[in-house]
Amino acid sequence: MNPSHAQDEHEVPAQPVAETPVDYMAHIKGMSFFDPHIHMTSRTTDDYQAMADAGIVALIEPAFWLGQPRTGLATFKDYYASLVGWERFRSSQFGIKHYCTIGLNSREANNEALAEEVMELLPLFAYKEGVVGIGEIGFDDQTTAEEKFYRAQLELAKEAHLPVQIHTPHRNKKEGTERSMAIALEHGLDPGMVIVDHNNEETVKSVLDGGFWAAFTIYPFTKMGNERMVEVVRQYGPERIMVNSAADWGISDPLAVPKTAALMVMRGISPEAIRLVTYQNAIDAFAQSGQINVADFATPMVIDQSEKFNGNTILRGGQQPRRDQQSLFIK
Amino acid sequence: MTLPDLFNETATDSEKAWLTSKQQAPIPARLAAFVAVPRFVSRRPVPHNPDWTMDRLARVLLLTSLPADDETAYTKAIETLFDTAEMQELAALYSALPHLAFPQKWLFRATEAVRSNMGPVFDAIAFGNTYPAQYFTEAAWNQLVLKCIFNDKPITRIHGLMDRANATLAHDISEFAHERWAAGRTVPAEVWQLVPRFMNESLLADVKRLAASPDERDREAARRVIEQMSSRFNVAPSDTGEATLNIRR
Repeated sequence: MNPSHAQDEHEVPAQPVAETPVDYMAHIKGMSFFDPHIHMTSRTTDDYQAMADAGIVALIEPAFWLGQPRTGLATFKDYYASLVGWERFRSSQFGIKHYCTIGLNSREANNEALAEEVMELLPLFAYKEGVVGIGEIGFDDQTTAEEKFYRAQLELAKEAHLPVQIHTPHRNKKEGTERSMAIALEHGLDPGMVIVDHNNEETVKSVLDGGFWAAFTIYPFTKMGNERMVEVVRQYGPERIMVNSAADWGISDPLAVPKTAALMVMRGISPEAIRLVTYQNAIDAFAQSGQINVADFATPMVIDQSEKFNGNTILRGGQQPRRDQQSLFIK
Repeated sequence: MTLPDLFNETATDSEKAWLTSKQQAPIPARLAAFVAVPRFVSRRPVPHNPDWTMDRLARVLLLTSLPADDETAYTKAIETLFDTAEMQELAALYSALPHLAFPQKWLFRATEAVRSNMGPVFDAIAFGNTYPAQYFTEAAWNQLVLKCIFNDKPITRIHGLMDRANATLAHDISEFAHERWAAGRTVPAEVWQLVPRFMNESLLADVKRLAASPDERDREAARRVIEQMSSRFNVAPSDTGEATLNIRR
């Protein structure tokens, strides 16, 4: 969560009511999903396997706050490098195409001296292959420092012809969302190049009316629930709406997108609408970067020629050996 | 065939024009072009060269166009590219090492690629690359070969493999095989070609074990070891095999 999708202490929920288990996977068999916001750096290999099994074929990992503030430029550099390096490779081992957005998150924008240095670093990464936007940027506490670096990064996005992925704040969300959009327009950005994230019932109408993309984060306790999401799609239709998990180091669900799709199937949303909000719209929005080649993940088990290797299949996508999670024996 | 010839043979006209203009551009623009290559040169295999793709080749050609008259500036430029590289850029940088100026400068970097867990990065230094055979210390070389074996990658694609075989490596291979065997796992048969020149009692025991293996590939490996030993000592293979090793065929 950038800066924090997790709950504040006073938001700890009541114990959930026990529910009858549903085989939701049966409802989404054969479907493909694109999760345009998930922080895999904070997730395990079990998550990657479960995501691949549930039909997630590609994802976007926005640069975010790692849970505690960084104290030097080098740790920012290494983090950005890991998003286009190690994490990209790790994902490929599970057959999932990994993209990222690069940016200085709002919380750390408040360390102004360091933020200035980070701004000089960003162009080195913004033009990398597979970087599909500037993100996630925007407001957390809505301070003047946050606004300064939000504006600077909008300029970078314009310069690099990249979409912008906007994080909207937890507190004063409605006001923060309006302010984020107004500033983006003030800098001359085309709303069609701006994805406003973490929407809810209160913000969605204004975002869509402004011509922006409206992303919804299905995140337990603090953001959207997927039952509410079904009703949003029923009311507004699928156009320019996309669903993500924003799964990170907080209590979150890397299967939020496929689970929401299953619930939509069960509650009678049309297959085409489901495809748009859980796959196609995210691709359309971020492919404006010129950095998404659908052929890389659209056909099952695509083999990246550059990673293929005569007489050796170890490096092919999706060939990470499976372990039997139910087995007592570890071999 | 030279690298430029290899590129020109397969590149489209627009790819060639783009690369030529960037090779003559001011230095910062060349470095930016290194990053931007995939936007202008498509990722497709270089003919007859399974390790390389056209975008990687274009990147290497941009690096070889950098002037080497100022060592400090040259080094800084290359180091910056390494520090901010994504996965394919890293692979291109390591592929370029034999073609860069001041080759000794990149020794630490090259061993970092051996430490990498990113498959394409490791492969770029390990396979079809002349840099390790030429510049690696024995310890670094042995680590490269052993890591290859450990990860079930084909050591036969390491340039200079036989030339740099050494007694320590032969010993390490034996130790590694013992660990694998203890765990009920196997060792690729091709690794045993690195031991004949350094034969001793301990290795001989390994060869006997291979010769008795239920796996045909192990038995074949044992036969080859014996053949190589025989040619060294000018003894008929059958004599060595039957008399010294008591191999059941």
